[in-house]
Formats: sequence, C-alpha cells, structure tokens
Amino acid sequence: MRHIILTVVIFAGLSGSALAETIKTTVNGMVCAFCATGIEKTFRRQPEVDTVHVDLPKKLVTIKTKPGKTLSDAKVKEVITYSGYTIGKIVREK
Amino acid sequence: MKATYRLFLCLVLTLVVALPAQAKPLSYVGGTMVMQENDETGHTLSVDYTFDPHFALGLYAKYEINQREFYMAGPELNTLIKRWNLPDGQGNIFSMTGAGIARQGSNSQPAAWAALLADYETRRWFFSYEPRLVYAGDIESSFWQRAYAGFAPYLANYDDLNTWLLLRMDHHPAKNDHFVVTPVLRFFYKTIWLEVGYSSNQHVMVNWTVQF
Repeated sequence: MRHIILTVVIFAGLSGSALAETIKTTVNGMVCAFCATGIEKTFRRQPEVDTVHVDLPKKLVTIKTKPGKTLSDAKVKEVITYSGYTIGKIVREK
Repeated sequence: MKATYRLFLCLVLTLVVALPAQAKPLSYVGGTMVMQENDETGHTLSVDYTFDPHFALGLYAKYEINQREFYMAGPELNTLIKRWNLPDGQGNIFSMTGAGIARQGSNSQPAAWAALLADYETRRWFFSYEPRLVYAGDIESSFWQRAYAGFAPYLANYDDLNTWLLLRMDHHPAKNDHFVVTPVLRFFYKTIWLEVGYSSNQHVMVNWTVQF
C-alpha cells in the first residue's frame, strides 16, 4: 500500500513539473508585422520556448514553453526590449 | 574599368536578389538585415547587423546615376536616437552615418554621409522624413530629403500579407532642384519586404529588404 501511494505521489509530481507554461504579454509599439518578426525570432532562440504566437490587433505575444520549462519575467522583458519594444502586463497559465 | 565596376555591381545585386527596401535601419538584437533600393537616383545596397537595441553596424554601397555617375561604399553605423512605444503606434528617430570611398572614373575621394530618419506609424498610417548629406570631395557634395506618407487599405495581422499605399516625395536641391513624387505599393510578409513604384519622372522603383 505504501509503495502504491509513493508511486502515485511521484507520478503526480512528475506530471506536474512536466507541464508546459503559457505566457501572455502585451507589447507597446507593436504595430508593424515586419518589425515584430524580431520578437518571434528572439523567443524561438530560447531553448525553453516551444511556440510563439504574435497577435497584432491585440498587441499580444503568447509564448508556450516546452514541458517542464519556464521563462522568467526578466527574460521575457529582455527579449521584448531587445526586439525594440516595451513590455506591458505578463500573465501566466499552466 | 567602369565596365568592371558595373559587372561587379551586377554580380553583387544578382547574389543578393536571391535573399530579398527601406525598412528601419535597425532590427532586433542579433538580427541581420539586407536592404536594396533601385530608383531614379541609382542602386543602393546595405547590410546591417543589430548588436544592441540602439545600434546596428553595417556596410553601405551606392551606385549613383542621378545626374553624375559614381560609386560610393563604406561602413555605416545606424543609431536609434529615440523611440516612442505607444499603445497604438510607434515613433522613431534614427541616424545613419558612414564613411568610405567614392569613385568616379579614375578619381577616388574619401566620402562621408549622414542622415536622420524620423518615422511614425500605426497599423493604419505611416509617415517618415529623411534628410541626407553626402560629401565626397569633388565627386559629390549634396543634400537631399525624402518623405513618405501612406496608409494600409486593410488591417492585416502578423501572419497575413501586409499591403500599404504610399506617396514618396524626393527633393534633391543639388540635382537641378528637382522634386520627384512616386506612388508606392509596399508589401511585407514575415521577414520579406517589397516596395514598387513609378516616379513622376518616369523611373521604376523596386526596393526590398530581408531580415534574418
């Protein structure tokens, strides 16, 4: 019985840590699709990132990380700044 | 000698045509941009690498055919002086400065150029103004200015083909004070940018940019 409980706890822990994270951030100044390609390219260079989606009308960038990986707020801000923009609000979803 | 230069220029242009116009002179940090312009003033090629959010280093070359023919090339530093990232728009002031060699026939002279570019855009509107100074001893000493104004007929998203209708106005006081207006169609899709136009003095304009 103890082994079963331990196994369930370990699996639950592993599956929890293996979840991908969805990070959404608004970006000020993002009005030109050609210029915004820098955001996509720079995020894609990050080893933690799985997919990147840019929505110009909503000025929203959605980043999905690889399972078990995350990107810190500081890193998200750095990528947006290095792409030439100003970051707005960051929202995270598991 | 002139034929050799023309051949070299054609080769360079042919090589870069496989890669594909005047976008902003800086991209994202780590990004490389190839820009090529063909209009009534000549043919321009520039390759820039953005190494900092405010600076890009590149190579600029121009084969000028506006009144007098000459070649000019050299390294160029592009600087983002000021950027306004607004919720529904972006404004920028850039400077582009460079120095190199100008050549006209057998006459070679040190050359230097400096330009400012101010732009403001929303998803619907685009405006820019660029004054430029060129000095190359007795080969060339001129000032010209260029402005763009235009709009997007539809609001495209990031993954769509973006289309713009613009008017480009060029004023070259040193070139018989001529004033040229060019209606321009601008397209971009992802990392490829293309501009085509036909000027009031009956020249075809084709500009393109590719970002890597």
